[in-house]
Amino acid sequence: MKKGWIPVFLLPAVILFLLIYAIPLGMVFVTSLFEYRLSSPEMRFIGFTNYIRLSGDPDFYTALKNTVLWIIIQCTVHVALGTFLALLLYKKPRGWKFIRTAYMVPNIISNAAIGMIFLNIFNPQFGVLHSVLKAIGLEHLTRNWLMDANTAFPSVTFVWVLFAGYTTTLVLAQALSLDEAVLEAAKVDGATSFQTDVFVVLPLLKKIIGTTMVMAATYMLQMFDLIYITSGGGPGKSTTNLPLLLYGVYKGENNYGYANTIGVVIVIVGIIFMTIINRSLKVNDEDY
Amino acid sequence: MKKGVLSTLKYIFFSCCVFAALFPIVWVVLSSFKSNAEILSNGISLPESFDFKGYTDALSISPILSYFFNSVVIAIISTVLNVFFLAMAAYVFARCEFRGKNIIYFILSLAMVIPMTALLHPVYNVVQKLGLYDTKTGLIMVYTALNLPMSLLIMRGTFLSIPRALEEAAYVDGAGFVRTFFQIMLPCAKGGLTSAAVLAFLGSWNEFTFALMLTSGQEARTLPLSLSYFTAQFSFNYTAMFAAVTIAVIPSILVFAVFQEQVVSSLTAGSIKG
Repeated sequence: MKKGWIPVFLLPAVILFLLIYAIPLGMVFVTSLFEYRLSSPEMRFIGFTNYIRLSGDPDFYTALKNTVLWIIIQCTVHVALGTFLALLLYKKPRGWKFIRTAYMVPNIISNAAIGMIFLNIFNPQFGVLHSVLKAIGLEHLTRNWLMDANTAFPSVTFVWVLFAGYTTTLVLAQALSLDEAVLEAAKVDGATSFQTDVFVVLPLLKKIIGTTMVMAATYMLQMFDLIYITSGGGPGKSTTNLPLLLYGVYKGENNYGYANTIGVVIVIVGIIFMTIINRSLKVNDEDY
Repeated sequence: MKKGVLSTLKYIFFSCCVFAALFPIVWVVLSSFKSNAEILSNGISLPESFDFKGYTDALSISPILSYFFNSVVIAIISTVLNVFFLAMAAYVFARCEFRGKNIIYFILSLAMVIPMTALLHPVYNVVQKLGLYDTKTGLIMVYTALNLPMSLLIMRGTFLSIPRALEEAAYVDGAGFVRTFFQIMLPCAKGGLTSAAVLAFLGSWNEFTFALMLTSGQEARTLPLSLSYFTAQFSFNYTAMFAAVTIAVIPSILVFAVFQEQVVSSLTAGSIKG
């Protein structure tokens, strides 16, 4: 009786998984080997032609470079910032709960809103940056931050890199659950609070930091909305990443086979980064 | 002495973090009450008076109201479906033994790391083949699935933490599998269900990329999309644009304010116990 219900209970989740994850993932790989566009809906097998075209496409290298760079920045600067804040907060200084909550706010509102907000913060007419520069007499430094080739990349990065609320929340929760006795032992052995943090607490948090790095890498790998709304990937292709490149090929060229070739590269870059993070932090130890 | 300096530095750092996180939102909300002229003359001044013209403008020049209702319908239905379907699956994974259980669970949880923007076109294809392009149903289906891995993780953990004795008592009393699930287990798992629901709701409410890909008309477009409307067509009515952004962020902030303990504990439960 009980056994009979198992498939019924699993079915909705499995169907959803097949429709939105598994089948699309298979389609990305298969159609990347086909000539497949809006103008000629009849698919034609062309082997690795799309990949050969991709390997000679300078825009692809720009997008790949930006994607990889952003993943690295997010896994280092962003995660370090969130972890540092968590290490200060786990000793429960006054107001720690408020700080944790406030820091989460940018992570729970929509990226479309964050994008719009920063589009305005960087606005060269009335944006915050411009207004502040004007107020301190440095108006001549103002530029169209998101559209100037020299400042677009750091400006777009700024839109997400500081908001490490998820990292802080996760690392903090793990730090709070650490065994008090271990920390006491370090103290008895004469370790300063700084030494305890670096040599005792941090190593114990390795696993959760690894998890936040995987989350940060996945997040940056699929980043689309914040770039689309702020810089749109420009000027030129200077802030285009792989998802934006894919979207451009898909909407602009209506070349689905080629767009999905970029999709395959996104998946592969993801696998490479997961492997690197897991290897370097041994996140997948048996105790996981 | 050294301690005092360090403690001061610490609080300066805290202030910077809180400021960085809250300033952008406070700035937008304040700006939504300023007139266009005020905004253009000084971007960081306080509003001279509280004027709701931006809000009435935003409602009249853009379809933000109908987008808002689309968002409400889509986010609520997809959240309910997500929690319901994944609670069923999570329960089976937590309690039943069957062949291939671990491998099926592993494959489903891979969804967590599949980069969804790589699948833009095939997902569009699936939705279109099902005749659901540019419909609320299409977005509901996709959003129900997008929140699959997190909900599965959270609710499996919740069911695992409930003592087995409860169900055994129910079975002894003659309750069947389905009745035990609905009448005993679901009420016991309320905390996990709420956590999963809050995260699923925020995810659906805030989603932008698939909404952009899978809709074209006012029937199904959601609130985040209405914001990009303001960059294109009404780029000179800044007050209305700030008002629109405020309208879009308030529900997320309210939901978070009410359920923040839940969000925090669910995030932690999901990723730490894993």
